Amino acid sequence: MNSERWDRTKQILEEALRLASGQRSAYLDSACDADRELRAEVESLIASHEAAGSQFLAVAAPDLLLACSGDSDMAPLNHVIGHYRLVEELGRGGMGQVWLAEQMEPVRRDVALKLVKGGMFDSSALERFQSERQSLAIMDHPSIAKVFDAGATPDGQPYFVMEYVPGASITEYCDQKKLKIPERLELFIKVCDGVQHAHQKAIIHRDLKPANILVVEVDGKPVPRIIDFGLAKGVTPYVLGEAQCTLAGSFLGTPGYMSPEQADSGAQDVDTRTDVYALGAILYVLLSGSLPFETEKWRKQPLHENLRQLREEDPPPPSTKTGTQGESTKTTAEARGTEPKQLVSLLRGDLDWITMKALERDRVQRYATPSELAADCRRYLRHEPVQARQASVFYRMQKYVRRHRIGVAVVGMLAAVLVAFSVAQSVQLRRTTRERNRADRIAQFMTGIFKVSDPNERVGNSVTAREILDKAAQEIETGLAEDPELQARMMHEMGKAYLNLGLYARAQSLFEKSIKVGIAAVGEENRETVLTEQDLGWTLFQQGRLVEAENLERRVLDTQRRVFGPGDQYTLGTMGNLASTLCEENKCAEAEQLNREVLQQQKSLLGPEAHYTLVTMDNLSVVLDHEGKLAEAEKLERETLDIQLRVSGLEKLGTISSMINLGDIERDLGHDEEAEKLYRQALEVEGRVLGPDQPETAETAYSLACVLVRRGQIEAGLSLLRQAVDHGLQARADLGIEKEPYFESLHGDPRFAALVAHAKERASARNAN
Amino acid sequence: MERDPPNEVTLLLQGWRNGDRKALDTLLPLVYKELRRLAHFQLQRERPDHTLQSAALVHEAYLRLIGLNPPQWESRTHFFAIAAQLMRQILVDYARRHGAAKRGGGAHKLCLEDATALGRQNDVDVVSVDDALTALAKIDPRQSRIVELRFFAGLSLQEISEVLEIAPATVQRDWTAARAWLHREISRNPRHE
Repeated sequence: MNSERWDRTKQILEEALRLASGQRSAYLDSACDADRELRAEVESLIASHEAAGSQFLAVAAPDLLLACSGDSDMAPLNHVIGHYRLVEELGRGGMGQVWLAEQMEPVRRDVALKLVKGGMFDSSALERFQSERQSLAIMDHPSIAKVFDAGATPDGQPYFVMEYVPGASITEYCDQKKLKIPERLELFIKVCDGVQHAHQKAIIHRDLKPANILVVEVDGKPVPRIIDFGLAKGVTPYVLGEAQCTLAGSFLGTPGYMSPEQADSGAQDVDTRTDVYALGAILYVLLSGSLPFETEKWRKQPLHENLRQLREEDPPPPSTKTGTQGESTKTTAEARGTEPKQLVSLLRGDLDWITMKALERDRVQRYATPSELAADCRRYLRHEPVQARQASVFYRMQKYVRRHRIGVAVVGMLAAVLVAFSVAQSVQLRRTTRERNRADRIAQFMTGIFKVSDPNERVGNSVTAREILDKAAQEIETGLAEDPELQARMMHEMGKAYLNLGLYARAQSLFEKSIKVGIAAVGEENRETVLTEQDLGWTLFQQGRLVEAENLERRVLDTQRRVFGPGDQYTLGTMGNLASTLCEENKCAEAEQLNREVLQQQKSLLGPEAHYTLVTMDNLSVVLDHEGKLAEAEKLERETLDIQLRVSGLEKLGTISSMINLGDIERDLGHDEEAEKLYRQALEVEGRVLGPDQPETAETAYSLACVLVRRGQIEAGLSLLRQAVDHGLQARADLGIEKEPYFESLHGDPRFAALVAHAKERASARNAN
Repeated sequence: MERDPPNEVTLLLQGWRNGDRKALDTLLPLVYKELRRLAHFQLQRERPDHTLQSAALVHEAYLRLIGLNPPQWESRTHFFAIAAQLMRQILVDYARRHGAAKRGGGAHKLCLEDATALGRQNDVDVVSVDDALTALAKIDPRQSRIVELRFFAGLSLQEISEVLEIAPATVQRDWTAARAWLHREISRNPRHE
């Protein structure tokens, strides 16, 4: 073929492959015209392209070679070793070769015979091998492939004889059978049980990974069989890719399942918790379909960088790996018998906690044993509180949820207040002693709060905002006692930060202290004091302390109307807050009246599409909804939502709030399908924008649970409700579950009763924090 | 690298020529690593000094390997073409030797068992690919070079586009067509089994 013609062929081929297979013929008709030869050539290449699939030549030859580098045929020429006749090579790799063999006596049966790579054996390794074969033989557990025999060929080649397991790896099996998450957990628990058994016999696997956990069906039920126990010890030079060759001789583990301590060069102290880590990585894959760290990326960067990442970074929680869009996400979800969005919400929360606890970089923080890990999985399946979360909720919260979202905000806020304060003061008190003292005090205080707690707990500069906040809150009472005005102001700001975090008890305490200090320093009707009281009122409302909130808000409103004026935006804000409190107390008529007043003022003062105007429209719709004026509520809320979407877009709190409230109204109208749609969309955005552990997110999950239960989806509803309770549902809502009319159909269901009790416990714990 | 690379490479190459299979086991990753790194730097356009050093290593290896006078590098395109050819020679030689040691001189397959990180992969007969590629070079030398760089030297398509100074879309088209062509050629002429 001449090159011009070949170029033409390539072009037509490329174009044809771009088309769907149904459209190709028509395209070839026109592209090849009457040139039958050309057409036949292109068609033949298309067929080859399809036969080649995506894998042909996909991995570079050196990578392939390095993955099994240096292995040559280890089997004896006559294919007989002792009582065993080698039948077929099953696989080979860094560890050696595995053969399907036939045992000839005393019983005839199929076995797997593993020839351990001999080149790496020195005499001490051989000794270890001898002692190890003893312990391997005493393992007896249904989840562990039995080791029958071990020995060495006449020329010193060591081998193991194991139960032959004609099964797929655990990940392949689960995906092929489309096992749902609970079924995957059941299977995983059996794996943990097997590893636990081995640990009791003082055997550590060291190289747990899906390829070493095969699944067979016994009486129609899947049973895992762990293979290659203890074989990794001191025996295997692992080849992970080009860079890893430099480390030949010291065992590393398999990328993705290797623990941080294995990555610590020179660290030989691998223990049972190394297996716990690998189990965590396997669980991660079973749940999310991907590995904790991107091993694809690992192959492209130097080994030491991969090892550093393993030692110093935390992988993202599994729920964040699945996403809600994209083809691979869909495949992952389908293999788990679910939809992408449901998969995310299923994983988020307890399963994230469990997996991440198993994957702790610090062994002390991990589950101490596989059976503890299994126990937490069982708790999850029984809808009981999991230990992973209980033990480390605070620790984790700092690590994952808050770090990014509020980090910059809180530190920036504190700094901004202080700077603003000192600037304002310096204008007033130009170059006086008092100013210098104040500047010193601020500097001292700021330096103090950045010196956070025990230095042993700090790695690098990863001080979290929450730590700074706690530290600051702790020191504020003594640290700025000489300057009560500044102290009151800072207490107020910190209280607001806690309020934003949904930590109401802490917020309340700081607000109360601030008010006390403020009254003494600047007086009861000082603007700052009154604003702190306003925030205290909102905090009380959030805690469900409605009577206290109402009393305080009425008093604050009085003062504000007098001191700030009736049209002041804070005065209007307090009216709005009071309306919300009243609505919650079922004093709807007054709430509606208040909101209408506020709305009217805001429309003329701020404009019809201003942020606060929209907030009030939203609030008024809620009140109307409570009053049963559903048609009017729906109309107003739709109007609000339309403006929100147009003015600020989907990912704004105001928009989400309107969306949820419209969902409530639709729900009350009996339009459950529409309500579910709105809630789901809101929940998705909240999970993404706010994070999973926010009160707002939890409340939306709660609402969605209501609709699901009413639509008869009890399981999903309960699971979502549980998630809401465990992930930031406010005390107010926690206490309301029992009386929630939507859950009436669940009364008498023991799972619901347990959940109610659990929610009450949580509520009192939250209020006490 | 702690050891003096040219010396090490020289020794390994001598060993290899004298039939020491182990020498090749060590040589391959060494050369490959440097080549990959070099390609990477080419793409990143960073640290020219390092590039020079890496180039020297592969250069050295090449000279020792084919026992020729230093080739005059006309361009980086030329350099990479030579380096990829080197990798191809090493790999094919490797596969032939290892294949010959197996029962009945069976297929020269590169296998993959444990390398989960690489994804699932069918065995590939390197010698067949080499033969087919020689045939392809007669029709389309550029395409053959792309396959060499991709399959034997492990460069990404993007790196290849940089190295050969041709548009990524062209590289992609050539690669797709070459895979189809090679697959057909290899299926038509099964050398082994």
